[in-house]
Amino acid sequence: MGLVRREQQPAEAKAAPSVETLLRQLDDPDPDCRREAALGLDGVAEAVPHLLARVGPETASTVRDALLTTLAAHDTTEVAEALAIHLASDEADLRTSVAEALSTMPGSVPAIIPRLIDDPDHDVRVMTAMVLADLAHPGSLTWLADMIRQDPHPNVVTAAVDALLPSLGPEHTELLRDAVRRFPDDPFLRFTVEAAVG
Amino acid sequence: MSDNRPKVLVVDDAATVRMYHTKLLDDAGFEVAAAANGLEAVEAAMSTAFDLFVVDVNMPKMNGYTCVETLRSETVGTPAPILMISTEDRPGDADRAYAAGANLYLVKPVNAERLARVARMLTSGVAA
Amino acid sequence: MTSSTTAGLSAVDFEKFREFFYKRTGIQFTESKRYFVDKRIETCIKQAGFPGFNAWFSALRLSDRSGLLQDLINQLTVNETYFLREDYQFDSLLKTVLPDVLAARGGAGRMTGPVKILSLPCSTGEEPYSIALRLLEEWDQIDHVDVEIHGADIDSAVLDKAAHASYGERSLQRVPMSWRAKYFAPVGAGRYQLDAGIRGAVTLHQINVCDTTSMRAFRDFDVIFCRNVLIYFDELSSRRAAENLYGAMRPGGYLFLGHSESMSRISPIFTPSRLPEGIVYQRPSGGPR
Repeated sequence: MGLVRREQQPAEAKAAPSVETLLRQLDDPDPDCRREAALGLDGVAEAVPHLLARVGPETASTVRDALLTTLAAHDTTEVAEALAIHLASDEADLRTSVAEALSTMPGSVPAIIPRLIDDPDHDVRVMTAMVLADLAHPGSLTWLADMIRQDPHPNVVTAAVDALLPSLGPEHTELLRDAVRRFPDDPFLRFTVEAAVG
Repeated sequence: MSDNRPKVLVVDDAATVRMYHTKLLDDAGFEVAAAANGLEAVEAAMSTAFDLFVVDVNMPKMNGYTCVETLRSETVGTPAPILMISTEDRPGDADRAYAAGANLYLVKPVNAERLARVARMLTSGVAA
Repeated sequence: MTSSTTAGLSAVDFEKFREFFYKRTGIQFTESKRYFVDKRIETCIKQAGFPGFNAWFSALRLSDRSGLLQDLINQLTVNETYFLREDYQFDSLLKTVLPDVLAARGGAGRMTGPVKILSLPCSTGEEPYSIALRLLEEWDQIDHVDVEIHGADIDSAVLDKAAHASYGERSLQRVPMSWRAKYFAPVGAGRYQLDAGIRGAVTLHQINVCDTTSMRAFRDFDVIFCRNVLIYFDELSSRRAAENLYGAMRPGGYLFLGHSESMSRISPIFTPSRLPEGIVYQRPSGGPR
């Protein structure tokens, strides 16, 4: 009893499961097993299509978060485009989780932003503003300003103002005042602009 | 004076909405704190006894329904009234809010007078 | 709204900064820390060679210059490590967490396997050895259960120092004299080396908390201390680190973060739990397994 030292185990006992095993475990009925498999496939390029295929159907949020954590590290156009499809999902938790993942992919996401900003579904455009809020890319502020200036839907404009809020400067005053003029009935927008530009 | 005002926690991922609701509720006589997602709200409620929660539905990390369930569970166990405010008005959303433990479910936009009136009504037992 | 670095930050700039820093690190500064934060930010802006707050803040937010964030965190947090730092969390460990662990595992004498505690990052060893000392001196169950303490760090240089376990006055200032006499021996130059029995009882590992494959070696820990390190990681790395810590824990196990840190901006996989001494996180005990 008392403090004991761990007996050293042979290194082989801790050998990581093979990629084949992990891919098989992505379909295990135990969510903990699926979660560990998704994390274990970090950096394995051949696993990407398998991981992408499971984002939508996965029901356990812990597993979905693990899938997205591993996928977001593959900052490629293939992953960005496949994930962006879920921005249109009816399931709010999936939409927001995917938006969070995309915002950590500054290498590949900028290429799909112009298309997302023009998406006919205004909910997708709202989610795009959420992605831009955290995307570490010099173009983010310009795209957000474009959305505030041009988007016909008040929810999108409000979301873009929200995303731009931490970076608002005097150069945005006219842009914001103009947005209030376009949507005079939106109390959030009016309040925000008054608070931000005085 | 801030000691006597009822305490409300505004939970919303949108900074603009947090600012807006904070202003409205401050004007209505509440002491207001804010949280940007459900998890932050749960942690805040563990260290402060709030008299009212105003909770958004769609938020990252932890959505509004899970947040309200956790606030009502033994993890936090708050008896305070909870008002949920959603941008969406889909069938079943209100039922889900009430099942989670909310006292009232409203759909945005909620104007200034309505929010103040509802907040006062829900906290009518608390000294203001 | 352009702020000069000599006149401090404007209220709006401070608010923007506070929101950003909280989002990235989970650390929240109150208005009372305003002066302190202003001074440290000024230092960062000057050191990085920016003309003013706006240019520096844009670079911080929008570029991949992670060095800027690292410098900022170094300026705004205390990196010093010493024995019994943030001791109230060890109070929680003894009073609340370990009794709960024993109860959940069937009680002392009936449980299979030792109670396992991990300190990550352990740096030069002060944290795992502090845990060992407090357990030996103050935990009434220490003679009835086996306890394994592990320390892990990514830096092999600090691990060498941890293995040698000799410390100066500054590191030992909070250790009671009676403990010092009992567990430390002077080794010259004002330094004291920890008793070989305790050194030998703590297992040290070199590991990267973000590396899932090597973190698989850690399983079934009852308690993990991971203090003041997740704040240094970008969003994706901190998420992966949180997932790896979760995988290293027994269901129902406890995770301590630094006193100003929060999991709420990182990941929802843990359940926060309120103890008299502060918030601690648990891996949910429900579900299969």
